[in-house]
Amino acid sequence: MLFLQLLLSGIQTGAIYALTAAGFALIFGATRIFHVAHGATFALAGYAFLACSQAGLPWFVGCLAALLIAVGFGLAMDAFIYRPIQRHEGSFFTVFVAAFGMTIAVQSLIEIGFGRGFAVVDTPLTMARAVVPGLYLADIFWVATGVALVLFILVTLFLERTRAGIGLRALSENPELLRAYGLSSRRLSALAFGLGSALAVPGAVLTAATSGLQPAISAQVMLISLAAAVVGGIGSLRGAALAGLLLGVVENLVISAVDTQWSSAAGFVVLFAFILFRPSGLFGQAVTR
Amino acid sequence: MIAYLTNLATLATIFGILAASLNLLIGYAGIFSIAHAVFFGLGAYAGAQLAMLLVPDLLLACLAGGLVAGALSLCLALPALRVRGEYFVAASLGLQMMAVTVFSEAHAVTGGHGGLVGIPLASLLGFDISAPATFLMVCLVVLALMLLVIRLLMRGSFGRGLMAIRDSESAAEAFGKNVARLKTLAVVLGCAMAGVAGVLFAFYMAFVNVESFTLEQSILVMAMVIIGGTATLIGPLVGVLLLLLLPAGLSFLPFIPPTEIGSVQQLIYGLAMALLMIFRPAGLAGQSTGQR
Amino acid sequence: MLQRRIFLLATAAGLAAPGILRAQGSPYVVGTLFPMSGPNAEYGMLFTNAVQLAFEHIKADGMLKRPIDLRAQDSLATPQGGAVGMQKLASVDGAPYVMLGFTGVSKAAAPIGTRSKVMMVNGGGVGPDLAGLSPYFWNVIPLVNQEVKALLPWLQQKSLKRVALIYVDDPLGNSVLEQLRKGLPGVGGELVDTYSVPPAAQQFAAVAAKVRSANPDAVYFASYGAQQSQIIKQLRDNGIRQQLLTYSAGSIPSVLSLPESEGLVYTSQAADWSSAQDPVTQRFVKDWRAKYNSDPSIYHQNYYNAMRLFGLLAQELEKAGTPVNGENLLQTLLKVRQFTFVGGEGTFQDNGTLELPMQINQIHDGRAQKIA
Repeated sequence: MLFLQLLLSGIQTGAIYALTAAGFALIFGATRIFHVAHGATFALAGYAFLACSQAGLPWFVGCLAALLIAVGFGLAMDAFIYRPIQRHEGSFFTVFVAAFGMTIAVQSLIEIGFGRGFAVVDTPLTMARAVVPGLYLADIFWVATGVALVLFILVTLFLERTRAGIGLRALSENPELLRAYGLSSRRLSALAFGLGSALAVPGAVLTAATSGLQPAISAQVMLISLAAAVVGGIGSLRGAALAGLLLGVVENLVISAVDTQWSSAAGFVVLFAFILFRPSGLFGQAVTR
Repeated sequence: MIAYLTNLATLATIFGILAASLNLLIGYAGIFSIAHAVFFGLGAYAGAQLAMLLVPDLLLACLAGGLVAGALSLCLALPALRVRGEYFVAASLGLQMMAVTVFSEAHAVTGGHGGLVGIPLASLLGFDISAPATFLMVCLVVLALMLLVIRLLMRGSFGRGLMAIRDSESAAEAFGKNVARLKTLAVVLGCAMAGVAGVLFAFYMAFVNVESFTLEQSILVMAMVIIGGTATLIGPLVGVLLLLLLPAGLSFLPFIPPTEIGSVQQLIYGLAMALLMIFRPAGLAGQSTGQR
Repeated sequence: MLQRRIFLLATAAGLAAPGILRAQGSPYVVGTLFPMSGPNAEYGMLFTNAVQLAFEHIKADGMLKRPIDLRAQDSLATPQGGAVGMQKLASVDGAPYVMLGFTGVSKAAAPIGTRSKVMMVNGGGVGPDLAGLSPYFWNVIPLVNQEVKALLPWLQQKSLKRVALIYVDDPLGNSVLEQLRKGLPGVGGELVDTYSVPPAAQQFAAVAAKVRSANPDAVYFASYGAQQSQIIKQLRDNGIRQQLLTYSAGSIPSVLSLPESEGLVYTSQAADWSSAQDPVTQRFVKDWRAKYNSDPSIYHQNYYNAMRLFGLLAQELEKAGTPVNGENLLQTLLKVRQFTFVGGEGTFQDNGTLELPMQINQIHDGRAQKIA
């Protein structure tokens, strides 16, 4: 029973990870930018939702505000940080450092604005009840997994069925060809950032209600997204989402076998093992360099 | 005031060694490690244990710290041989996160979160070198030695081989360079130097615990190298001075409310990192951009 | 006139180091070394507010002849931050008296402060290894082993026999573990399961599942800062209905105001605000409520006391006409030993701790109530 319980709470954590990681993978897949400020997007969205619910606004207004902030931040990062860097050199490490700097800056802005404590949005949805004796589930479990599933299907459909979606997928492979077909690579990369950042919003809102927010959360989210993206195969949306789910489950299941201390490190053990033994990840193409 | 400046100078020297050793990886070998604090920590723990159990001799401790960090750096060399770019960054990240857990769990060796207290004062061949000014001099000598070694090596065939690999691995291989051996050597050397920096750090602070060897520390050192300028001898030192003095200098500004000082420091530090990457990606001391 | 006499005395005694000389004409410099950023910054704010109130009281009372200049350094709650900040307070600001918190920070700062003869006072860190750290290091807070000891009889009385422990794996957590393991059998209880967690962990659903399968009567958690709220909320969310227990770190506002904290029991030093008789405590509580519109916590009490201690010691020194430096502050403390603090008379022990009566509190409707 403990195993089943841990599995289910792993799936709930994993669903949130999966969406966030999918956003990261979408951005990376389309633009080849290692968007480590994705964690900052997550934190900003979470705090925007928090501010709205503290102001007494209904939850969907909060979600909308979170969405606007997240997408706005993603687009701003693309336009004002990544694009100027890529214009002159754009070694991936330069991008990495700049994005990291922005993450630190956003974290301290949140500290100044919201204080440094722990903040949570209260909702009856997080209260777990016994579904069968000994097995506890909260309504938020269904919300998290449902939202994750629906959004994931929608994004996949978008990428496979629409012109813009196909353009996004092609962007990383051959920008010149895209231009020939009359698609602007600039606009497509903005689309990737907007969509990818939007995918961080549900995770942020759900986290605000479940485990709560604190300014340092951006770093943690960044690490998880990065790990999930690599384990899934860099650039593969499906892989990242599955790996996010996997990391959430591993983090929870592992403590049925070893000391609780290892729970958060377990994901990184998985990451390290994947890089050593299967660097292409779950669904990635073979590493080409 | 003198004592404070000596303190800052000693820390800056130790971080100078650390940054120079990371520059060997990032700048010359193109191995973008964000796990450098792990090897800094390994050296610190090894040096501290040696000093506490046997003799507080700096030379022996540096040897031990360098050996331990160098030997365990194979954990980093392994992924470095298999993958590059973003994958390696992620691998080093995984290593960093695992190491922090190990550091905080291996109570017998590291003291866990409580850390190792009571590291004896440093001596060198029987002489007491613990006075702040003397210790600073010793650190400066070590730094000078490290820089000299890096300079000599990078001018030689080893350095040219490394840089060839950095610029194009396949081309270097085609020209008959033993890529695996060169890369492994660079990793071992860089990490061993980080271990030596760790030993100096342990003696200087007389207290080490896992909080000094976390991801934040790795990122800080990485930022020092990048901001200062990679693949130059002087760059990492510029970065160290800037990033260590920035918070120290900020706390002298009277108009920032003392309760917000920490956040403002972080804010400036973060923005500076981002802006520098936009306007001077080769770092402050780096050559003009565009060629490479 | 008087100032000049002190100045002459100091030089005549040949004691005056450059830093002290400068201090003679200017305000007394008092340093604070608290985490002002990062996940533990909430404590820095708490501590600073309390120091501020005591500072205002000292000023309003004209307790000292010269003003006090407060200098803040960010300890980041890390050893390195502690060492650097302490160095700066000691040698640049020339502070003879520094208030600090957190076990790791204290342990790194203590050797530096001792070297520069700076008196250090901790009112927040409760790690057992803070006792006897240095002759210059004093605690105005009872350490955690005292707290656990005070809780045991209450557990017996409520017949909470089977206790599970969630603890951060550091000296503090390990000390709680040791105390519970040793102490519980003595009151007819047992420690049924223990879970050590990293200080930065944020997900506790899995721990909750394990706690549930161990089925204890009560769950003790030994953590600090933002993590505490996450532990409480996630345990409650995941269907843990048992009594939650912790030590004085649970008295911070973010824990008190969390709805899930209802019923949480924590130990602390005696702080019974409503029935306090002595004028020092009454004034502290009254002014605190007026200023912050809430009840003070034990951290407020401790750092108020820490700042007040400086006022009392410096006052003694001024009376005697000796310069206010770390060495003399220490001598005075060793001589006087017993002080009138908020919460009653406190006596400093030889190992550098303050012996204070303890009490057990329960959180009810966002406020702490004394229950034993």
